[in-house]
Amino acid sequence: MLQRSAMNVLSAVLLAVTLFSLSPTLWAQGNDDNRLVITGSSTVAPLMSEIAKRFERQHPGTRVDVQTGGSSRGIADARSGRADIGMASRAKKSSEFELLFHTVALDGIAIIVNKNNPLNTLTDEQIRLVFTGDIGNWKVLGGSDRAITVVNKAEGRSTLELFLQYMKLKNSEVAASIIIGDNQQGIKTVAGNEHAIGYVSIGAAEFEAGYGTPIKLLPMGGVAASVDSVKNRRFPLARPLNLVTKQDPVGLVKKFIAFAQSDSVHDLITDNYFVAIPAQTVAENGLGGGQAK
Amino acid sequence: MIDKVFSLCMWAAATVVLCMFSWLIADVLIQGIPALSWEFLSSEPLRSGREGGVLPIIVSTALILVVALGVAVPLGLGGAIWLAEFANKESRLFSVIRMTLDMLAGVPSIVFGLFGYAFFCGFLQLGFSILSGGLTLACMILPILIRTTEAGLAMVPNDWRKAGAALGMRKTTLIIQVLIPYSAPAITAGLLLSIGRATAETAALIFTSGYVDRMPESLSDSGRALSVHIYDLSMNVVGGDKAAYGSALVLIIIVVQINFSANLLSEVWLEKKVARR
Repeated sequence: MLQRSAMNVLSAVLLAVTLFSLSPTLWAQGNDDNRLVITGSSTVAPLMSEIAKRFERQHPGTRVDVQTGGSSRGIADARSGRADIGMASRAKKSSEFELLFHTVALDGIAIIVNKNNPLNTLTDEQIRLVFTGDIGNWKVLGGSDRAITVVNKAEGRSTLELFLQYMKLKNSEVAASIIIGDNQQGIKTVAGNEHAIGYVSIGAAEFEAGYGTPIKLLPMGGVAASVDSVKNRRFPLARPLNLVTKQDPVGLVKKFIAFAQSDSVHDLITDNYFVAIPAQTVAENGLGGGQAK
Repeated sequence: MIDKVFSLCMWAAATVVLCMFSWLIADVLIQGIPALSWEFLSSEPLRSGREGGVLPIIVSTALILVVALGVAVPLGLGGAIWLAEFANKESRLFSVIRMTLDMLAGVPSIVFGLFGYAFFCGFLQLGFSILSGGLTLACMILPILIRTTEAGLAMVPNDWRKAGAALGMRKTTLIIQVLIPYSAPAITAGLLLSIGRATAETAALIFTSGYVDRMPESLSDSGRALSVHIYDLSMNVVGGDKAAYGSALVLIIIVVQINFSANLLSEVWLEKKVARR
């Protein structure tokens, strides 16, 4: 009996020692002024990691840790202060009035068909019906009498997410003939199949079409699908990629946001198939940009 | 007749399992080998992992695993020995603990992730760090480790315990010299299961050890695990598929390597003990 109570005491002591050694004082971070934590959207995270690495190189001694987990988490962490900056791949909602959104880049997608397709425009509703499989032949839309090849993206791609959200579709409702992984694959598929329709990042599509790949970018809601119309926020099938802060940014946070919005990261933005915004446009729209429609 | 149908069914089942397994391995090998090179293993990721390598990610994975096993193995062995050899098996506490362990073993990993995020990252203020990730994994694998070790100890014939007592052996000596060596294969199996589960873990680690793909400088740094890297490359990085397959191959090689060495170690150790006995 005595032995057992002695063991209980011992295990309690062990537990206390373990908890103590884990306590914040022993593991406290060195200099918090030179450290930034950014969390949020998994769409923005790969781009932001690259921007962060370049920022660290230009500002020796600083550390920028980028974490992922989704836009909602970015918003929540920015709100609670767990992160210095949040990332959100969407516009500001009215319930987020107290937060500041800083647009870094835009994400737009273009509906593409083969260049030899006689159709030059489709309404949103027509596109929706094609992707659900309710319209299965180009003839119904005024084209040739051929079955439509629907090219859909693999689960998890940000373009898929944006497309479904805009078309008010669920992925299970899409009757896909081919499922593709990345933009290049989608462009190749549509370029090689006269009866295919698909959607890819607007930057990649415009780049390829400009280099003579036989694809055609369909206008959406009467607005031509181009990087320019995404830039001046007229293209409907687009969304802003934002950094989110709780207060007016100061110090390192301010420096980092300014860097992420500067022209010196545009190559990184383009490399991730997003649309970069020229610095003066950011200034015009104000730092709290991203309040779309 | 019935015998024939039955054995046919069993053969078919075994073949299906084997086919699925070889298909998976073949897919990873065919797509992964072109991506694999010394440079891939020895350099840092570039362009969100589309180029460059996975060295910091391998290091982070190893550190997370070391932390997880370093915490879980002593606690797990201790807990299992207590359950098997010291606890009063009729007591309420015993059945409650057993039930809790079984329940914990079945909890989805994302729940452990959220717990780790709230407790280690938040409450203990460890932040996103290898330590948080390792501790979260330790919580996750502890129930498996305890239950398999306990089952191994329960397999030891009771006569051995009585014989030990009759010889005047201390309980400690009996456990260390007789019971643990005897149940070493079971303990190794549990350990391997735990390692497998830990290295495959993505959901729990995204929230705890994090996403940073820099070379970790200490355990309080955030570090990206291989599973998280594979997930990110295949889901979020356009054009990351090739590197994702390469990383998947690296992960498989590491797991197979650990399996082999653990089995070998336990055999060598067991042989030594048996020979001495």
